[in-house]
Amino acid sequence: MELTEQTILLQAPNPAAAENGRKLSKKGSFSALCKTQDKTVYWGECAGSGKNPYHVSIDWLNPDAPVCRCSCPSRQFPCKHALGLMFEQLAGKDFETAEIPQDIADKRSRQAARTAKKESGEPPKAKKTSSAAQKKKLSRQLEGLDMAEKMVNDLLTTGVGTLSGSSAQAYDKLAKDLGSCYLTGLQAAFTRMALAVRTIQQNSGQSDIAYTEALRILIYLRSVIKKSRTFLQTKLETDNFSSEDTVLFEALGGVWKLEDLHAVGAFREKARLMQLSFDVSYDEAKKEYIERGWWLDIDSGHIDQTLNFRPLKALKYVRGEDSRFDLLEIPTLYTYPGEGNRRIRWDSASSRPLTKEERAALPALARPDLATALKETKNQIKNTLLPKFLAVLLPIGQLGKVEDTLVLEDPEGTRIVLRDRPEDGASHASTDRLALLPERISPGSALFGLMFYDESDRSICLHPYSILTPSRIIRLQF
Amino acid sequence: MNLQPLFDVKSRLEQAAIAGTGLLAEDFRLQRAAENLKPLAAASPVFAKIDSGLQALLSAPAEERSGQLLDLLALVDAVTYTQGTSGITGELSPLPAGIGTCEPLSYGQLQPLLEALTSTGGGRMNLIKDTWENHPEYFTDFRVLPCLILGLGEGYAELADLIADILKTQKPEITSLMKKDFEPAGKKDMVRRVEVISALEGAAATPWLREVLPEAKKDVRTAIITALGVDPQNADFLLELSNGEKGSNRDAVLQGLALREGEEIQKFWSKEVEKNGHSIYFLAPSSSDWASDLTAAGLRDRIEKVLAASKPVLMKEQDELQLWLDSTNHKSSPAMLDFWRFTDEQMDSIRQLKNHNGRPMEFDAKLTDQLLYSLCDTGTKPLCDLCKELWEKDTKQPQWLSHAFLAALLTCPAAEVYDRFSPYVLTAKPLTGAQKKQEFHDAVLRGLSQISWDEEKNTHVIAKGNLPLAQSLDSRWMEHLTKAFWRTSFERQRLPFSTWEQVDNFDIYLVRLFNPSDEKMCAFIVPWLRERAVETGYWDTYSRWIIDFGGSPRGILGESMKKSKRVPYLYLVWKLLSEASGVLSPEEIVSLLEEIHATGLFRKSSDEMGETVFMKTIADLQAGRPFPERDAWNV
Repeated sequence: MELTEQTILLQAPNPAAAENGRKLSKKGSFSALCKTQDKTVYWGECAGSGKNPYHVSIDWLNPDAPVCRCSCPSRQFPCKHALGLMFEQLAGKDFETAEIPQDIADKRSRQAARTAKKESGEPPKAKKTSSAAQKKKLSRQLEGLDMAEKMVNDLLTTGVGTLSGSSAQAYDKLAKDLGSCYLTGLQAAFTRMALAVRTIQQNSGQSDIAYTEALRILIYLRSVIKKSRTFLQTKLETDNFSSEDTVLFEALGGVWKLEDLHAVGAFREKARLMQLSFDVSYDEAKKEYIERGWWLDIDSGHIDQTLNFRPLKALKYVRGEDSRFDLLEIPTLYTYPGEGNRRIRWDSASSRPLTKEERAALPALARPDLATALKETKNQIKNTLLPKFLAVLLPIGQLGKVEDTLVLEDPEGTRIVLRDRPEDGASHASTDRLALLPERISPGSALFGLMFYDESDRSICLHPYSILTPSRIIRLQF
Repeated sequence: MNLQPLFDVKSRLEQAAIAGTGLLAEDFRLQRAAENLKPLAAASPVFAKIDSGLQALLSAPAEERSGQLLDLLALVDAVTYTQGTSGITGELSPLPAGIGTCEPLSYGQLQPLLEALTSTGGGRMNLIKDTWENHPEYFTDFRVLPCLILGLGEGYAELADLIADILKTQKPEITSLMKKDFEPAGKKDMVRRVEVISALEGAAATPWLREVLPEAKKDVRTAIITALGVDPQNADFLLELSNGEKGSNRDAVLQGLALREGEEIQKFWSKEVEKNGHSIYFLAPSSSDWASDLTAAGLRDRIEKVLAASKPVLMKEQDELQLWLDSTNHKSSPAMLDFWRFTDEQMDSIRQLKNHNGRPMEFDAKLTDQLLYSLCDTGTKPLCDLCKELWEKDTKQPQWLSHAFLAALLTCPAAEVYDRFSPYVLTAKPLTGAQKKQEFHDAVLRGLSQISWDEEKNTHVIAKGNLPLAQSLDSRWMEHLTKAFWRTSFERQRLPFSTWEQVDNFDIYLVRLFNPSDEKMCAFIVPWLRERAVETGYWDTYSRWIIDFGGSPRGILGESMKKSKRVPYLYLVWKLLSEASGVLSPEEIVSLLEEIHATGLFRKSSDEMGETVFMKTIADLQAGRPFPERDAWNV
């Protein structure tokens, strides 16, 4: 794999770490640079603030997942020294060929043994837990659901508009209690609603959007509470404590592990994915950044998403994701329960550039026409438990303007208005960028975006994210 | 189908949720909306379901209302989503190709730049500068360009100027983005837009500038008028504007007209400077003959007037004289040359002029200085000839010696100039007439102070106007100057390394004359600099010069430090050696460190510094590691 700046950024826990690494390389902090004959291991010394330099090494045996090692005490991984060493490689610095140091060789063989064991063995099994503890948890969750229902009812009786000042604080406290009932999903939904109401109090100009959002959450809560009660009661009555392929698990606050997904059969093998777009948003209710990648399965044309959550408190220590431009070949792709654009994950993948033919074939993976996508979108957004948008890839007949409105017309002549989704905020604004596209988009290309219902004029619109031409993907976001 | 009754029901239900279900029974608007839905309910089962849900809600007991309201809202929402329209009618015009480029840039590469351009707070300037240095291609990306234009409104002026400079390097096509949403009555960001558009389009911006001018106000108007001045075709238009504009706008008109030619223009300026003498300021950059004649005539009139008045010159008159004198720059028409001859003839009378306090006005010195600056700025042949003529007219007086010397350097062979003028620079104290001889000596040094070696041009130049000499200075000057008896200093010079050391200006001028690539010259200057370092104790400046000329301060650095009046700052030592480590070998740096350490100067201020920093750095260098960063020295 060719080492590029983007490869280094992909390894970095955050852009600042990469920048610090670049600075170390630029100011000549590295010395005793060496590499193995087969160019799979690079190592050197990096001057730090202490008396002795740090010993840094990178093992490129698996180019998609290099193993970085450093003697520095940083909790960031990889640290700036390892990233700096990558920048030394990128800059074409002179690395002497040498024998691999014994300590790195030992660590490498231990790592190889672990990987071999992992690959040869059975797929990971879901951890068993005691049924008594599960029963206790389910009962606690049911109690929490009663509490949540009461909160919803009380709030509606007095009116959502009354959620202010001290009552909002009391409300926050109650929402926190839901967390102790293993209902962190509901807790976050309540917090999100309280935030929406607070937005109105701080900025009355946004009251329409904020009240709509608050009511959507209430409807969602009502739906989750109702369906979850039946779901949990059935589990409790039948003593069935295994994981199930349902969105309710996550809605209540459950966190899926790969082995659990494997256990419920939510995976497929040998998937080939191409990223269509990447974006980052901040969830005020959960105080975390959400890094979202939209992926196209180049075999089925299905669009799914990766979500990487980075809590504000641990931002420095959780590695950030970044845009990917290569094709990923994934041995086992895990899919979360749900419909439409499901969340996906994997624990290993290899990458390679798309061939010219593969790239040219991407636009043909679009939905057959706009009408089909519209129908699917309406079906999704009607479901109170699913997101109010659907990510779709649409064939382009023509991209243009009707007066000042940007419009997509499919090859059948059906049109849809292109518009930014208000809920996504200014950081995701991309529609106006269409007018700045450096090239004219010819028919035979496809437009990727989020189809949504806009309350302002009660229409279904499309928030454009990327354009797939036969020769490249033009990203309007990242 | 008219769906308004459905939307009304939705709206009333949402209102009920906001106001509270406790008030449902009294909500007559909801009841009215329910009534209006009846016809739809009769027509379709889904509306009938909503209708029955409404009836159930209105008649439900209080404790069940919340749940029923949310269920009904979910149903109404689902129906409105299903009924959602899409598309738009009308003629669809295809999108033209936009501007900029589309780079495959990742979030990690692009987002920090976009955030720096669109947010507030510290650290953004460095980030944008670094990105501009390392990745200028990011700035042409179609996602970055709009943010770059928004950045022109940045409150941090230095950053906004950097952004404007970046925009000025882009393709002229980007101006269409800046013209869009342009606000002629806007603020500083709009001023910068005009400046960028003008820089990118030049004269081609005229139609747009004239289109937006009528609506333009304040600073934006001034910027537009200034930009209009770039296009020679706008001369008539500017003449028209000169009648109506005031203040800074009129100044912009005058600035634009100063570089234009034509009969109308000349007439305008004659009238203008007659009516308002201060307007001559705008003609300073003009080198045309008519501007030169106008300036010469105006200045001569004013001098004659003060000479004739035979009384102290008022402050106002002094200011005006200075303004007119400054405007003689770049001008060398025959009338201007005559003006200088006139001043030479009148020099004795001019020397007698007194200012409003009754003290000598020293206008004679200002006049000779001005001619020297003018010569250094333009170096035209007529000016060179004039300077020689003035000097040769009376070689007993030194007032035109600097001028004649520089004129000779610009026009004559180097050896001839040396033979003619080096005798004025004395290397021993004269037995008689020392004062007068020093005036001549100083005049030649003054001329030499204007000269420096230009690495790019590979010759000596007059620094002010970057004018190459006819030939590089004769190398005999160097040795001659190092032996100069008087080391006279003239204007205050910026110290080359911004340290506290008050280095003699004579040494600064002298060093500037040497070519660091000439090994013979370096071999000559380095020993002299080593001597001066020990004599003066200015270890930092002289060490840097020695390194610049390919030498090493080893052997004199410690001695110079000891001679210094103050204990050296450790920070300056680190800075010197850190920069030297890029040129000198690690062994040489180790020797310098040992030499500094041996002075014992640092032990006085801190044992730890002397014992650990120097020793650790020596160990690092000996182990093949690079010279440590500033943090490692704790400075």
